[in-house]
Parts: sequence; structure tokens; C-alpha cells
Amino acid sequence: MFSSLIAWFTASAQWSSTTGIPTRLLQHLGYTALTVLVAAVIAVPIGLYIGHTGRGRFLVVGLANGLRALPELGVLVLFVLLIGLGLTPVVLALMLLAIPPLLAGTYAGVSGVDPAAVDAARGVGMTERQILVQVELPNALPLMVAGLRTATLQVVATATIAAFVSLGGLGRYIVDGQAQRDFVQMAGGAVLVALLAIVLEVALQGLQRAVTPGVRRTRSTPVVGKTDTVTVGG
Amino acid sequence: MIEFSDVRKAYPDGTVALTSLSLTAREGEITVLVGPSGCGKTTTLRMVNRMVDPSSGTVRLDGVDVSTQDPPTLRRGIGYVIQNAGLFPHRTVLDNVATVPVLLGRRRSEARSAAGELLERVGLDPKVGSRYPAQLSGGQQQRVGVARALAGDAPVLLMDEPFSAVDPVVRADLQDELLRLQSELGRTILFVTHDIDEAIRLGDMVAVLRVGGTLAQFAPPAELLAAPADDFVAGFVGRDRGYRRLQFVGAGSLALSDFPTTGEGWLLVVDDDGRPTGWRQGEEHVALGTVHAEGGSLRSALDAALSSPAGRGVAVDDDGRVLGGIEPEAVITLLHASAGSTAGSSPESVR
Amino acid sequence: MRLFGADILPLAAEHIVLALVPVLLGLVISLPLGWWAWSSRGARRILLPLTGVLYTIPSLALFVVMPLVLGTRILDPVNVVVALTIYAVALLVRSVVDGLDEVPGEVLTAGVAMGYRPLGLLFGVQLPLAVPVLVAGVRVAAVSSFSLVAVGAIIGQGALGTLFTQGFERFYTAQIVFGLVSILVLALVIDGLLMLLGRLLAPWAAARAPQRQAV
Repeated sequence: MFSSLIAWFTASAQWSSTTGIPTRLLQHLGYTALTVLVAAVIAVPIGLYIGHTGRGRFLVVGLANGLRALPELGVLVLFVLLIGLGLTPVVLALMLLAIPPLLAGTYAGVSGVDPAAVDAARGVGMTERQILVQVELPNALPLMVAGLRTATLQVVATATIAAFVSLGGLGRYIVDGQAQRDFVQMAGGAVLVALLAIVLEVALQGLQRAVTPGVRRTRSTPVVGKTDTVTVGG
Repeated sequence: MIEFSDVRKAYPDGTVALTSLSLTAREGEITVLVGPSGCGKTTTLRMVNRMVDPSSGTVRLDGVDVSTQDPPTLRRGIGYVIQNAGLFPHRTVLDNVATVPVLLGRRRSEARSAAGELLERVGLDPKVGSRYPAQLSGGQQQRVGVARALAGDAPVLLMDEPFSAVDPVVRADLQDELLRLQSELGRTILFVTHDIDEAIRLGDMVAVLRVGGTLAQFAPPAELLAAPADDFVAGFVGRDRGYRRLQFVGAGSLALSDFPTTGEGWLLVVDDDGRPTGWRQGEEHVALGTVHAEGGSLRSALDAALSSPAGRGVAVDDDGRVLGGIEPEAVITLLHASAGSTAGSSPESVR
Repeated sequence: MRLFGADILPLAAEHIVLALVPVLLGLVISLPLGWWAWSSRGARRILLPLTGVLYTIPSLALFVVMPLVLGTRILDPVNVVVALTIYAVALLVRSVVDGLDEVPGEVLTAGVAMGYRPLGLLFGVQLPLAVPVLVAGVRVAAVSSFSLVAVGAIIGQGALGTLFTQGFERFYTAQIVFGLVSILVLALVIDGLLMLLGRLLAPWAAARAPQRQAV
């Protein structure tokens, strides 16, 4: 079993053809990047607004909790049936999953800034915009990146499922392998997806640490905050 | 009785918490360990119930070396009160107090009813028994902590800065309550604090420890104030010690002067029962100063004299009726007279 | 009850079993592991990052890899149960650690000083105090589990998730919406029940809440 898996990985066609691993990997990353970017453009300003003003808090909490129970496979196929095959329904469905953690991270980051620091900023004569940009945003960054991390992993996982609705990406190997009763191909795809997710997780963890002020960079064990448990695994 | 003999505690990293301590806490007394942080007072306390084991030396409880005993069994026989009380948040007040009796195998219902009585004893409404600790104030929680420590009928109580986290007014209440309880129960209490005033107020004996864990002085509070062993103790005891020492000197033989008084025309106003209500000078009414109650200390007598607008204090009997006036000079005279005998052990000493 | 050409009730029952058995198993496994990670710094250094990595692996990939690891057949429901148990453990080990960390130091000191032995302290004081955090973790694990079971439909083992795959093949929107709603409702009902269970197990936590807000 393992030897055939290795053979699958090392076959030359796997690394050159248009259905080879590099192409599938780039597709997968492309879907993920596009979705997270669009989701961030929507979620971050809203999160900043809610965090700064405190208005609409219930929206964040409700979304974060409610959407966790939403089966991503169902959302995906529903969007495809409603919109038609193609990239749009998939990106929309994935966005639905990416927005809550981004929103929650941004909101929690901004609202968690020490009120005394915000008060002091107002006291020295900063405008509300200056307070948001110069005080709240830098302090909120670690939690915002934590939200980005959760959103990215959620999207990477669910983008795998996108192959079921005829899209590319690494999920193709699993879905095609299932259809062709080719378990080696399925397992190969699964290993690739798992590796991709782990690499992204480690990279984003590094980013999160880099934007966290006052944490020693030399620490040998990754600092994993409680924000981990937002929602991943899809 | 708790005996420490040549007790030393050093940690693997080389820090020495206690250099060599020998000390005896007598049966039925409050022995206070006081000193700056890092003097090893809490370490000393925790050696009694084996939360810390000494590197060398022995700790004996009623003559028995504690290191020969099983720690949990030993601990069930020793009451323990800590700062912030350390109550179990998930148990009601009643069940918190019943903890040790239940651990000792007593029936829960029995332990609970005994716990209810203990709550009253420490000055709490038994109705709070069904509440959770989070629903009580800090002072109430600390009272529950004391009740919990008393529940096992342990003859020995260890108290580790139990009143440090509450505000000064509540702290004074809790201190009074402890003294009242102790006069009823007569337990052997080892009490740790960093507050010298608390030590002087509560201790029958006070041990002042230096940083690094050496005993600077072990004496009754009055002696500590009257004759500090060295500059460290004098500095730690602090300012006003001459004045504070007066609280350990009885004012029983104080010479009282008669009313009406004073050349400046001050008149003491009393009600029909002879209780003082204020001073009067011409048409002007002025409030009373502090009043010295019969049997009080020289400190209260002097304070009555100094706080009176008329320059002369008021002494009253147990019913609050005027006995006579207190001239500041009379206090000083009595103080000089009693200076010959050691303040702490004089027969008229009070606490 | 037949709907959309499928027997709904057995599918729903299967969904509940596939979703909840892993959470239960996960809890049983996480309690000792979490306690270990809480009490030993070395174990914490290994266990917490490891569970973090496991939680990162996408569910579909984990389902597919399971036969490789377990030697089971591809269509064996055991694959889904084991995969979801791994997720539950990944989530709950952290919850157990966080829950035990919640116990205030002075409460532990008081417990030891009153003569609790280690096991008595764990079951009498530490675990009861960890209940609110634990229940919160179990709720997240259970709700996620309900949505993850559906993914199994892609590899032919998805209980109510088959409503999605079949609905997609037949271009039948109503069937998909019905699947979405039924999974959502099941998850929320379980979530509510777990919340009630949490209140029942830790009535004291409610007493603490108002004071926290006041601070």
C-alpha cells in the first residue's frame, strides 16, 4: 500500500501534466487565497466598526456560533444548484465559512484593547480614526491573524470538498479516486491536503507570533492561544 | 504546642528560605510570625502541616515529629486559613464548612448541621449557608474560611495572612472576631502576617523574622515595642512605638480630677443619667473627644485627654457615666511610675 | 418516514450516532490526556501542538486516510467514527487543560491543606470546577461533529449528508435544503441539551456570573 502510494507520488506525469500535483496545488491555493481575500475585505471593516463602537455585538456572537453547525457540504451543493457550476458559487460558499472567524477575530481584537489605553489616546487628543488606526488596530492584530488562521484552514479544508462540485484543486484526487475505485489516488490526495493544511497552519502561527508584541521569538514551543478553538476542520 | 528545632529550608536552586529556626508556639496561644516578604514566614507555617518539608531540623506537634505522619491525615487534624479564603466555588457555604468532617468520615447531614452552628459562631447569618462563595463579600468569605478551619475540631490552627486582602475596616472586625473566638476556644494558633500592627494586636507572642529566615526577636508584643532587640526590629516595629506601647499599660491607678473644671470656662454637659454629651464654653457647644472607659489602657486615657477640646479627657464607667477628668500630666506621671516594672508583664497590663 | 426517496429517520439516527459516539469517546480519552498535559510541562509541550496539528487536517482527507491507518475497508463507518474521535480529542484535550487551569491556586492550596489526597482532589475539586470550560468544549465538539459527519457522504458514509450528494446528483434543491435544516436543527437541539446539562452539573457557575460582570 505504502509503496504504491510512493509510486503515485513519484510518477513523472504527476509533476508535469495539467492534472498533476503542481497544477492542483496552485488551484487549491488560488481558491483559498481568493476566498479569504474577499472575505477579509468584507469582514475586517465590519469587525473594526463593531469592535470600536460596540454596536452589533450580538451579530458576531450569533454568526460565530450558528455557522459552526452549518454543514459545509450542504452549503456548497446548494449554492451550485442555485447559481450553476463554476467558481462563483464555490467562492461564495467558502466565504460564508471564512467570514465568521475573521469577523470574530477582528471584533474580539479591537474590543479587547485595554479601555485605559483608548481613554488615554482620546485624552491626548486623537481623533476616533487615529485611535482606531494607531491604537486599536496594532493591539488587535494578533487576534485578527488568529481569525485569519482559522478562516484559512476552514477554507482549505472545504475547498477539498469543492472537487465534488466539479472544481479542481487537491480534492479532485479524492473524488476521482472514489469514482474510479482507485484508493491509491484517494490516499495520495488526502496526504497532500493534510500536508498543505499543516504547512499553512505553521506559517500562519509564525505570522501570529510575529505580530504579537512582547512575545519572545526564540520560544521553542509554538504559543497556541485559546483562539485556536474557534472553528476548523471542515 | 508546636516546636521548631533548628529548622532549615534550602531549595535546589540554592535559595535559603530558612537558615535555622528554633521556636515554640505555646498551647492555647496566638503566636504570630511577622516579617518582610522573603523572610520565610509562610514556609515556616507550611512546615507544620507538611505542605513544605524542612531540609533539616524537626517540627513537632504536641511532641510528635510531623515528618513521621501521613500528610493528608496530619492535615485533616490542623485547621488552615489562607488569604482570599480559598473557598471551593462549586460548593455551598455549608458544604465548604463541612469539608473536613466529611473527609474524616462523618455523615454529611451531621457535618452540615454542625457547620450551621459554626457559621453563627463566626458571626454569620446561618441563611448564607445555602449560598455559593461568589455570592458573599470578601469579609464574609474570610469568616467562612475561619469556620471551615474550625470545623474539624482541630486543636491547632494555621493562618496565612488571612485578613490581608480585605479593606481595613473589615480587617479590624475580623481581628476582633478572632480574638473573641480565641477567648472562647483557646486553640493553638500560628498566624502569619507582614503587618506589624496586626501582629501586635493579635499575638500573645510575636516572632519577628529577617529576610533569609533568621529569628530577630521572639517576645510578647509589649516587650517588642518597649525593647526592640536591634535596629532591624526597631525599624520594622516602626514609628510611634512609644505611643503604641501605651496600649499594653493599664490605666487602673490613674488619678482622676473633678468636674466642673478648667480656668477657661469649659463645662462638661451630661444627661440625666450622668452620661457625657458634649462640652460647653459660654454659648458655644462642642462635641466630646474620645472617652476613656474604665479598665482601658493608658493609650485610650491619653487619647481622651488629647482629643478633648477642653484639654482634659473624660473617664466613664461601664455604664457610660462620668467618673472624672483625665489630665494629660496624670497619664505621663502614671507612665513614669510604671516604667520601672516591665510593661508587658505588669499585673495591670491589658490587651 | 420516506422523503426524497430515502428513509429519513434511520438516516437521522445514524447521523446522531456517528456524530455523538466520537464526542463521547473523545471525552473519555481526553480526560486522562488532558490531566497529563496539565500536570506535566513536558507532556503539555508535546500534546498541545500535536492535537493542534491533528485538528488542522481536513476531514475529508482524514476520512480517506483512516483505512490506511486502521486497515479497515473504505466504506466502514468505523473510519468516520475514528476520524471524528480524533477531532474531538484534539479539541477536548485543550479544554481539559484550560478547565484545570481555571481552578484558582488558593483553592488547590486549601484543598491540599485540608487533607485531600491527589485523587480525591481531582474528582472532588478540580474536575467539578473544570465543568463549565469542559462543557463549552464538548458543545463545540458536538456541533462541529454534526456538520462533519455530512462530509462523509462524499466517500459513501454520510448519514443525512447523503441528502446533499443525492440532491446534487438529481439537481433537487428542496432535498438539500431539507438536509441543511435537519442537520442544523439536530445540532442546535444537542447544543441546547448540553448547555442544560452544564447548568445542572455546575449550578454554582451561574452564581459566579453576575459578580464577574460587576467587576
